[in-house]
Amino acid sequence: MIERLSHGPASVHGLTEPFAVSQQMISKHIAYLVRARIVIKTKRGRESVCTLRPEAIKTVSDWTFYYRRFWEESFDKLDAVVKQMKKAEVRDDRKNG
Amino acid sequence: MTEKTVNAPERLVVTRVFDAPRELVWKAWTDPKYVMQWWGPKGFTAPFCKMDFRVGGKFLCCMRAPDGQDYWNGGEYHEIVLHQKIVFSLYFSDSKGNKVDPAHYGIEHEAIADAHDVVTFEDFGNGQTKLTYIGNESMEDARNSGQAEGWKQTLDKFAEVIAGLAQAK
Repeated sequence: MIERLSHGPASVHGLTEPFAVSQQMISKHIAYLVRARIVIKTKRGRESVCTLRPEAIKTVSDWTFYYRRFWEESFDKLDAVVKQMKKAEVRDDRKNG
Repeated sequence: MTEKTVNAPERLVVTRVFDAPRELVWKAWTDPKYVMQWWGPKGFTAPFCKMDFRVGGKFLCCMRAPDGQDYWNGGEYHEIVLHQKIVFSLYFSDSKGNKVDPAHYGIEHEAIADAHDVVTFEDFGNGQTKLTYIGNESMEDARNSGQAEGWKQTLDKFAEVIAGLAQAK
């Protein structure tokens, strides 16, 4: 959710859509984020709009997000590499044995 | 200690279970030939990687973004426990391995002095290996991390021995 908000403000409805949970659950989660002062909630007409606090973006998003993404996605690739290595090892064993 | 915790950036832990024996996962981490195949986020390539894999040795890797921009990372190995654990520092650098401010690459990061990263390799004994990556640790914490897992393994072995003894009875 924070990742979604890091791209810009979004309505509660818009935030619910990508997740397979009820709007009620999302609202509850948003309430936590508001209490943790990570998200600001404002009214725009009938809709509630959530915005990430700029300070929160700076401290939470930049480094941790970047770093986590770096490792998660590197691990995805590492998974493919070890699979390849495993296959090669089996081939070598067959050749030598 | 408490003061340090308050000021320290959020602790980063990434774990992954690989369907491969521990020696193989270790090899994929410690041989630049393989590191070049996985270093960097999705869509990035690693056109350069040099590693002097020994305590006190340094490494230098380059990752190339899809837009062609190169990001260089350097670091130093501080502790190596064969097939179990690597403690190292990791920083942004220039192409010569000289440390640079992350802002140089447009990344904001309040680096903690003496920050270390830890990676542990846990052998599940069934051909699977659990990798745990812990970022931004003080050297003291880095030294101690992984010990909890070591203890768990010891206890598991102990439990096996006990179970064996029970069966023999």
